[in-house]
Amino acid sequence: MKRILKLSAILLLIFSLCGCEQKEKYPEPTEQFFVNDFADVIDDTQEGDFVSKAATLEKATTSQVVIVTVGDLGGDEPFEYATELGRKWGVGNEESDNGIIILLSRDDREIFVAVGYGLEGALPDSKTGRIIDVYGLSYLKNDDFSTGLLKIGEAIINEVYIEYGLAPADGYVNIENVSPTVDSDGGEVVASWVIMLVVLIVISLLSRRRGGGIFFFGMPHIHHGGHSGGFRSGGGGFGGFRGGGGSFGGGGAGRGF
Amino acid sequence: MKKKGLIILIAVIAVVVIIAGSLIGSYNDMVENREEVESSYSTIATYLQRRYDLIPNLVNTVKGYSDYEQSTLTAVTEARTALQNAGTTNEKVEASQRLDSALNVWVNAVTEAYPDLKANEQYKALTDELSGSENRIATARKDYNEEAQEYNSEIKKFPRSILASLFGFETYEYFEADGAANSAPIVDFD
Repeated sequence: MKRILKLSAILLLIFSLCGCEQKEKYPEPTEQFFVNDFADVIDDTQEGDFVSKAATLEKATTSQVVIVTVGDLGGDEPFEYATELGRKWGVGNEESDNGIIILLSRDDREIFVAVGYGLEGALPDSKTGRIIDVYGLSYLKNDDFSTGLLKIGEAIINEVYIEYGLAPADGYVNIENVSPTVDSDGGEVVASWVIMLVVLIVISLLSRRRGGGIFFFGMPHIHHGGHSGGFRSGGGGFGGFRGGGGSFGGGGAGRGF
Repeated sequence: MKKKGLIILIAVIAVVVIIAGSLIGSYNDMVENREEVESSYSTIATYLQRRYDLIPNLVNTVKGYSDYEQSTLTAVTEARTALQNAGTTNEKVEASQRLDSALNVWVNAVTEAYPDLKANEQYKALTDELSGSENRIATARKDYNEEAQEYNSEIKKFPRSILASLFGFETYEYFEADGAANSAPIVDFD
């Protein structure tokens, strides 16, 4: 009798431990890793094409650019889902947090490009938003999710190459030289581009300074390593697959389409 | 007889050393965890500052379009000032939530009155940046809450609770989940 009790206690313990690992809200990455087409919207040829481009990028820079499509976001904000996924998978490497997640939700009709801490200087939110606008939005609006994602992915990969001082792919055009898709009159355009350039510079300076900053809230300054959440999420370091333990802080930009 | 006394003495010393050691260990753990909470809190402050700095740009951009929506703009200015003047954590939390909702109201009012504003590249860039700030703040809040929760439950557990009250370790308050704040990508003004 006693033994049975003991045994059931042990079993109970084991079960309750398993219970902690309940069904996860966020999926595990596929073996392709660079393309995770859970919503099944990406063309096979384009998928293979992007996987090889992203793999080449990783080899050259250690940066990881990952495309994810899901049916829905399960009630999350797009940025939240993308950020959590990036942390959970550990996209990018641990030292430089140089990962990018391009997340598309088919049913919510939302896209969000989440930028890891380490690439926030190269891809400030405004630039990321503009890349979506210029390269992807028209395809996405026409339900060509596959091409839209691929174009955005290629543009992002180019920006990462440039950040690492490498040459982007042939035919690369600096997004800041692409004329605005929407009109305004001449003088205004010039003025607004000058202002925008200044804003971009200030922002990238600000974000590079993150953690060393000025607090005017009277906070004691405590050094922040920029990894909050990185280790907690477990990173991709031991998760198998190929994430390198990179972390995300909510940076990036998104659009509904 | 003498020998027995010595053994007892050694045993007592050993017990004292072990207890003291574990107390010191606990104390150091608590200090370390408190630092982590503080650090994640300071991340929030950094992003609040960032958003604060962006607001004047937005306001100026939008001002080119109009000088109205003045009343809702006033609410934003006031909320921004209140955030700057907030002292305690509690006040900052409240002020930042007020700023979130004031920004929302204002931006909605302006974009409703001037739909073509949405097509302005500069406006889009600024809203992306502001929205990114909101997202970072929301993420940092969540991280802070997790750290704070871990720390709070730790210092409430016996026997650390004794140490905690002895050395003045206090619990941290949480940021309330705020749906409006999570979805607010906005611009600013000043």
